[in-house]
Amino acid sequence: MPLPPASGTGRYFAKAAKSIRLVRHGCTNRPFFHISVTHRKRTTTQPVIEQLGSFDPMPNAFNEKLVALNLERLKYWLGKGAHVTPPVGELLGLSGFFPIHPRSYMTAWRNRQAEELAQQKEAEKASATAS
Amino acid sequence: MSILLKKFAQTSAKTIILRSNDSQQFLIYSRKLSLVPSLYDGEKDPAPKFFSPDIQALLKRLSRPDLAKVFRKRTSSGLPVLRTPKYKFLTTEELEIEVQQPIHDVLSQDPALIGYDTSKYIFTDISFGVDNEHRIIVERQPDGTLQSCDHDIRKRLNQVYFPIKGRKIREPSMFTDDEKFNSLLDRDQYEFVLDRACIQYEPDEPSSTRHFGPLVFYLTWHQSIDSLMLDLLQFGAVREAVLLIATRQAIHRDISNGDLAQKLAKQKYITANSAMKSQQELALQGFREDYQQLVELSRGLKIAHGKEELADAKNILEESQLWLEMKIGDIDKKLQHCIDQMW
Repeated sequence: MPLPPASGTGRYFAKAAKSIRLVRHGCTNRPFFHISVTHRKRTTTQPVIEQLGSFDPMPNAFNEKLVALNLERLKYWLGKGAHVTPPVGELLGLSGFFPIHPRSYMTAWRNRQAEELAQQKEAEKASATAS
Repeated sequence: MSILLKKFAQTSAKTIILRSNDSQQFLIYSRKLSLVPSLYDGEKDPAPKFFSPDIQALLKRLSRPDLAKVFRKRTSSGLPVLRTPKYKFLTTEELEIEVQQPIHDVLSQDPALIGYDTSKYIFTDISFGVDNEHRIIVERQPDGTLQSCDHDIRKRLNQVYFPIKGRKIREPSMFTDDEKFNSLLDRDQYEFVLDRACIQYEPDEPSSTRHFGPLVFYLTWHQSIDSLMLDLLQFGAVREAVLLIATRQAIHRDISNGDLAQKLAKQKYITANSAMKSQQELALQGFREDYQQLVELSRGLKIAHGKEELADAKNILEESQLWLEMKIGDIDKKLQHCIDQMW
């Protein structure tokens, strides 16, 4: 089946609330997301108004996660008052387009804490086996 | 008995093949063909010489475009229609291509993001109507640094989102693997290699090649221009032969009275510096005869037109040659540009 055009095939209502969100387009065990603008009340399986970019959450051979953003259209929809969901907000924050999302800081902090805990446990284990 | 005969035939055939191989090898050696490539690995760095404007100008003038070859028919390799080349007037600044400098452009540093992810995030602006050079491509490192990407990543991502036909995301192994590269050269696939290099590399990349100029530089750098000189003389391209000597003088400064290269010092070059004297002298002799014939032809024409001023005829011939050369020099740049556009 050919992909729908980036301009989207969904019906458009000017006054309905819009949302910029991730829409899952991968297959089983292989996530891939489109960054799309659609009505807030629609589900992610319904046709979108416009695709604004893509996000590949699986790192490639160079350990990179690729994000494509159509900043021009993104600005347009933001100007129209579109709502941005947290995952997209996080990506935009990392890209330097938005301020960093608070949830990114939370994730980073929690990851650091978990790593420290793991290191402490390892050190304890090592000392226990040594003694 | 018959088996014995067969065996004998097989062994004799083998010896013949072996012998023929030996003779071929012997031939190759007698032609002084060296398959060991010379490398730019000496104590001297060729880059400053190669990129100096004088030598660039010489190399550009040396690569005479063969119009029959430039405008020959070739398969459009899947392209529906070849676009007609566009001619534009460019300023000298626009025409000059500088070699890429590495990009170091840190946009922000946020240590609070350390631990967010173990992999890099790369963001590409895919807005409509932005060309590859000016596209915004930034990366967020695992240590929270946001910075512009370097050229290799830029090239890869441009190819991911805006693919150029024929270019590969990974460098083709024929350029990285010496064995494959040499096997291509053994099969005389030079044009394929050069075309592919033109598609794969941008003109301002260090790996890029524009065919003839770098070859001349390579030969001059390793002091093996004799065959090229012979070729030039046999084709009657004396202007280029002089330019070649000038190039050698500019690179090595080893030709006695090389400063006179602009004044047709090739005779002296051949007697003093060449390793292929006899052939080159012959070629030069042939060229002289050709030139003499041309002069006499023009004389005859002039006489036929009712003018008997012989000196004038020669002058006019030389002038017309000069004019032609100037024209060719002008066309060189435009052609190079148009070739770049086409590929």
